[in-house]
Amino acid sequence: MERYSVQRAMIEFKNVHKWFGDLHVLKDINLEVAQAEVMVVCGPSGSGKSTLIRSINRLEPIQKGELVVDAMKVHDPKTNMTKLRAEIGFVFQQFNLYPHMTALQNVTLAPMKVRKIARKEADDMGRYSLEKVGLGDKLHQYPAQLSGGQQQRVAIARGLCMRPKIMLFDEPTSALDPEMINEVLEVMRNLAREGMTMIVVTHEMGFAREVSHRVAFMDFGELTEIAPPGEFFSHPKSERTKLFLSKILTH
Amino acid sequence: MLETFNFRVIFEYLPLFGSCFLATLWLSAAGLVGALVIGTLACSMRIGRHKLIAIVAAAYIESIRSTPLLVQLFFFYFGLPSLGIRLSEAATGILALALNSGAYLAEIIRAGIQSISHGQVEAAVASGLSYIQRMRHIILPQAIGVTLPPMLGQAIVLVKDSALLSLISLPELTRAGQIMTSERFMPAEGFLTSAVFYLLIYYMLKWMTAWSQKRLIYMQA
Ligand SMILES: Nc1ncnc2c1ncn2[C@@H]1O[C@H](COP(=O)(O)OP(=O)(O)O)[C@@H](O)[C@H]1O
Ligand SMILES: [Mg+2]
Repeated sequence: MERYSVQRAMIEFKNVHKWFGDLHVLKDINLEVAQAEVMVVCGPSGSGKSTLIRSINRLEPIQKGELVVDAMKVHDPKTNMTKLRAEIGFVFQQFNLYPHMTALQNVTLAPMKVRKIARKEADDMGRYSLEKVGLGDKLHQYPAQLSGGQQQRVAIARGLCMRPKIMLFDEPTSALDPEMINEVLEVMRNLAREGMTMIVVTHEMGFAREVSHRVAFMDFGELTEIAPPGEFFSHPKSERTKLFLSKILTH
Repeated sequence: MLETFNFRVIFEYLPLFGSCFLATLWLSAAGLVGALVIGTLACSMRIGRHKLIAIVAAAYIESIRSTPLLVQLFFFYFGLPSLGIRLSEAATGILALALNSGAYLAEIIRAGIQSISHGQVEAAVASGLSYIQRMRHIILPQAIGVTLPPMLGQAIVLVKDSALLSLISLPELTRAGQIMTSERFMPAEGFLTSAVFYLLIYYMLKWMTAWSQKRLIYMQA
């Protein structure tokens, strides 16, 4: 598959640390993600993967180090978070749709309220985003009327409708029944092909192999290994990575 | 038995009951509106970040919920004037009802807000919505859906509690029953007529809630 050529750094972690009380969850993270790069992050549960990507839009503030996203300093308390968050779509494991709103209302709320786009134009954008994830016929359905895979696609459309520069995914298929995983991955594959900058926390190694530019392994709050997928899967450097891969690849 | 039940006297007193019915309606409505304002305020103070303000709100809620409404009413009616604050009887009654139900509504609203999954709020934060926007578009619309049934319950309690206002000689439904009883000595007819009017208000509230609930059907996802 053709991959976008990698350009300037869109996300840059420099010696980033984060604690929850006494618990040191991010330990000296150094990472650059280029524009149009697709990076997959994997690792054992509790290793800090969610915290890592949640720090990018300051859902979790960091305590030490520098974190620059789209030339905005996330570590600086003075940075305008609204502006930054408008540029970052975030997809959660549990979808987190607004249950009292239709699919179209879910995706157009932030464009209207944050980007201040008029309803008519926002509706057009919303329709376009939902068509893009294959839900052009579900505009007026409520989340409770949709399957898990459809809900997650609405969540992706909600991110896309803001025309973001970056999309972050925190285990987007972990809460789905197996038969629905592929419809969500397919949408993500298309996004990658179009050159979206993406960080995807996932254990879908097929997706990593096929779509990502690099795969990172996270262990006890550290990024212990980062390599292109070919190398990552055929020659994992550390024993911990090997062990982890043997566990998730066998089932 | 029943031949002694005097319907004619009830018809004779119907104008009195009508005007007292309206009084109960507007005293309760005003009390309810006040309670909603106070309850919303107290709830946001209670769950807000400011510690001291939260303690003040909690103290208000606790002290109202732990004391009889009658004591609160008498405090406002007899106590406030002795402190130099003079209010009309209606204002005193509405104040007592609003402060009393406000404390219960604060807790109902709090439960409603806390029933909204944190994940949705996080999604709203992640997309750049401000605190006010999250309240306005995500939290409150759903909290209202969840809290409507218990709010109806509280509204019904408030209407029934308004009977106590007869004790500060406001001409409301219970007072109408008392008047008829003392003028004609017909307590059965008098208080039964009052009860029928209360029942009428109860069904009005129930119908309003059912109507609004129908429009919120999808919120119970
Ligand atoms: N809000 C929080 N408060 C305290 N500890 C937390 C919080 N969120 C996560 N943790 C802890 O931080 C560590 C990393 O969590 P997380 O980033 O969710 O890991 P992962 O996504 O890799 O499973 C875990 O030990 C977790 O228990
Ligand atoms: Mg996680």
